Amino acid sequence: MPDNIYLPELARIAHIKEEISGERAIKTYRVEPVNGGGFEHNCGQCAMLSIFGRGEMMISIASSPLITEYKQFSVMRVGRVSAAFHELDVGDVIGIRGPYGNSFPVDDWRGKNLVFIGGGVGLAPIWPVITTAVAQRADFKNISVFYGARSPRDLMYKAELERLRGDADIQLSVDKAEEGWKEFCGFVPANVLDKKPSPNNTIAITCGPPIMIKFVIQNLQQLGFADEQIYTTIENKMKCGLGKCGRCNVGKDYVCTKGPVYSWAQLKQLPEEY
Amino acid sequence: MEKILGKTKIDDWVAALSDHPQEVGRGCKAAEAATTTHWQVSAPVLEDGIWSYQSGSGSVQLEHSNTTQPPKGFSFPQREVFFSFEQIKGEPPKLTQKLPQATRHAVFGVRPCDGCGAVRMDKVFSDHVADTYYTARRSNVAYVGLACNQPQGINCFCLSVGGSPVSSDGMDVLMTDLGDRYFVAAVTDTGKALMAAGNSVFSEPTAADRKQLQQTHAEAIAQPQRAINNLDAAPAKLKASFDSPLWEELARACIGCGVCTFLCPTCHCFDINDENTSATPIKGNRVRTWDNCQFPDFTMHTSGHNPRESLGSRLRQRVSHKFQYFHENFGMPQCTGCGRCITECSVGIDIVNVVNKVAEHAG
Repeated sequence: MPDNIYLPELARIAHIKEEISGERAIKTYRVEPVNGGGFEHNCGQCAMLSIFGRGEMMISIASSPLITEYKQFSVMRVGRVSAAFHELDVGDVIGIRGPYGNSFPVDDWRGKNLVFIGGGVGLAPIWPVITTAVAQRADFKNISVFYGARSPRDLMYKAELERLRGDADIQLSVDKAEEGWKEFCGFVPANVLDKKPSPNNTIAITCGPPIMIKFVIQNLQQLGFADEQIYTTIENKMKCGLGKCGRCNVGKDYVCTKGPVYSWAQLKQLPEEY
Repeated sequence: MEKILGKTKIDDWVAALSDHPQEVGRGCKAAEAATTTHWQVSAPVLEDGIWSYQSGSGSVQLEHSNTTQPPKGFSFPQREVFFSFEQIKGEPPKLTQKLPQATRHAVFGVRPCDGCGAVRMDKVFSDHVADTYYTARRSNVAYVGLACNQPQGINCFCLSVGGSPVSSDGMDVLMTDLGDRYFVAAVTDTGKALMAAGNSVFSEPTAADRKQLQQTHAEAIAQPQRAINNLDAAPAKLKASFDSPLWEELARACIGCGVCTFLCPTCHCFDINDENTSATPIKGNRVRTWDNCQFPDFTMHTSGHNPRESLGSRLRQRVSHKFQYFHENFGMPQCTGCGRCITECSVGIDIVNVVNKVAEHAG
């Protein structure tokens, strides 16, 4: 930890990719440390990003820990700081502090099948696990990725997902049918139920809107997944990231330090305040 | 170290502290100690109908009931600047840290419930990772406590939450009123240094003084107070009552003003925001301010989804944090029985009644 836990390091925007345009626009940023700083992270951890004059926001680190030159963040334009983020240009300097939170126990999952289930911008928090598993492909058995969004143009990481085909079974879906859409039409949980991934020696990792996660878990249980085989991440409002400011708690846990990663076996013990 | 201080001599002790070069400060670095020559003494002051701790009067008046505002602001001020920033677009910003100045505060007249409050705050701000700003301030704050011979108000309930009207927890010095004089006992090394600075203002306690002290403490503990009925059972009862409809019923009168937590000696929640003074170049300060779990936007996600949308869910959070979650994390309640949240609530929400009623309802 640095001497001053609230003082961010500086990072430069190295690359910006517009994933989705429109009202709920998503852009993906690669940020590189300024002056040789930076930090290592594990899959599932978050970082507090600053735009000086606008404030801070907690965002999942969306790149694999295997990538050390930059960290990737996918940001949906929703609030004060995320809107300011969407005005940034390549070369702009932001603040970053972290990494915060626990991480996915990826090492425990070697030798297993992995089923990823993402919805909307919820693909970003599990993307480090997906890309790490694919990079270390021989360590894992079957890898499948279920991913869906409202419409084909709301799908993020489209090119990256296509590149994973061959290494992973990619199952895309959209909520509403559109001309030319050849994959599944319907909600993400329904697609999971339709394809019936086997729970045998399998870990399921899901992230997306709370209502999606709820039905994904129900459907996984219906397919025979035990609570210990299901992992998800929780996002609550955060200000400090250090277990002090008091707003991200779910029961006794501050999500910023004890989370954001929980197995369903752990999460179901906590009150439903997320 | 135990001494006797005549009531008329308390200002002499304060004067000695204010003049005395202090070499020893809890956690204080040598370089800082060299530049700090005295303690800034604060004591309860009545202003606009509100008792709070203030410095500079020169005269310390301890004949009062407990303060309206707890002394937590010495270590955790209502507003503090973390750092300032100045940035031209496309260039790295200039960040200037605003670390707290090494002013040493000796706070006189702190009551045992607020001493216990500091113990809770210390846990929060040192758990997981030490809070830079809190730690820097806290290391320069000393509590010269005053035992409560009588409950300080009709809503005191320290005894039922593991405290005591004569507790020295969180204190550096504990004084007890023996009529025309105080029995003064050092609790920490900082407390010893504070007393050593007073030197000749103190006299040695006699056997009669000690006997009177014991009797006074015994009588103080025997004074009737309000009570949380079964503290040990509270965590499990609250856990079992999470979905109880009682919460909305008990919170129905709440206007969400947040006075209960702002005046609480253990409430520590905060917000961090940027306050700007110039748009081009961007100039401003990153600021920490107290925040409040009774406000709806405290937990509201950017999407508009709010995990604690209703008044009942927010009352449940305040009460469960104090009597369940904090207990699960630190093995003690996060309530010290000061009664401020009851006394100052404008609609009569009463944490003692709430805990007792929920526990009773849980069966």
